[in-house]
Amino acid sequence: MVNANKSDDLSLISRFKTGDISAFEEILLRHQDKIYNLCRRMLGNSHDAEDATQDVFLKAYQNINKFKPEASLYTWLFRIAVNTCIDYKREPFFESLFKSSKEGDVFVVDSPTGSPSPDRLYESKQISDAIQLTLSRLPVKLRAVIVLKEIEGLSYEEIAEVLDVSIGTVKSRISRARDDLKEVLKKFREQK
Amino acid sequence: MRCSKRKLISPYIDGELNENKRSLLESHLTGCRECAQELEELKKIHMLLSSAEPFEVPHGFPTRVLANIRSIEQKRSNDFVHIFKRLTEGFAVLVLIVVGIILGSFLSKPLAPEKGNVVVSLSLDIFAPAPPDSVGGVYLAMTEAENEK
Repeated sequence: MVNANKSDDLSLISRFKTGDISAFEEILLRHQDKIYNLCRRMLGNSHDAEDATQDVFLKAYQNINKFKPEASLYTWLFRIAVNTCIDYKREPFFESLFKSSKEGDVFVVDSPTGSPSPDRLYESKQISDAIQLTLSRLPVKLRAVIVLKEIEGLSYEEIAEVLDVSIGTVKSRISRARDDLKEVLKKFREQK
Repeated sequence: MRCSKRKLISPYIDGELNENKRSLLESHLTGCRECAQELEELKKIHMLLSSAEPFEVPHGFPTRVLANIRSIEQKRSNDFVHIFKRLTEGFAVLVLIVVGIILGSFLSKPLAPEKGNVVVSLSLDIFAPAPPDSVGGVYLAMTEAENEK
């Protein structure tokens, strides 16, 4: 299945390089969900995630000639997405993401839509908020590995390819990220 | 002092341990409380994060991306036309200057006097002879007589 997808992607890229814009449209439709979700988890809100995702596909469009056929398209796109999100988060504006409220600092989160009932919606929102809150406490590079591993389900090897680091570095970052998450969740429990 | 096997727990959860290490850790977990507790905590984190529901891409997103790309392409094309026009104008001016220089060098050649003809062109022989009873004729007669002396 993976090989078939890779073959399809390479065929689309070849067509796109000959000037077939519809091939790029197909690439966009095929990969937009994963890229958007990564950006959403990295940046925490829909507005920034959409902007970042647009940037990712614009960069992909302008730099398609730099794509190496031996790599897979989705890891290449993920790499652009992670770098875009890391650069995005360096913007001072992004510090306003943490807004003060009567309850204290909260992270601006958007929950998944389409829940069938109010209870389910509430539970879903609670879980979603918890996930985003815990992720928000991580340094951005550790957040990237955890999102790629836990949420996107990439292997260590694929994550290493996305981040252009060794597998050992991936293992180390995941382990550190989990240690940080344990501490974050421990503090949340103590606050309740 | 942390258990040395603790570092295997994270890759164990991710299914990244080979068969030998996996068996080693599983038998270790039955006897190590610290590692067993670590495993439980990491499993909770794993369950929390992997239960994250995927977000839906905002409505109309692909349309906006493609519109953005078309806009960039249009701008790029306009910039190219603008640059091409400027280059063409510049080239035309350069051609005119070069043609002007070449034509100028051709036209200026006949105006240059030949050697030895300077004196001829400046001598009085180019003028018609002065009538003998005119002031000029008398003057010339006097100067010729002077020269003969």
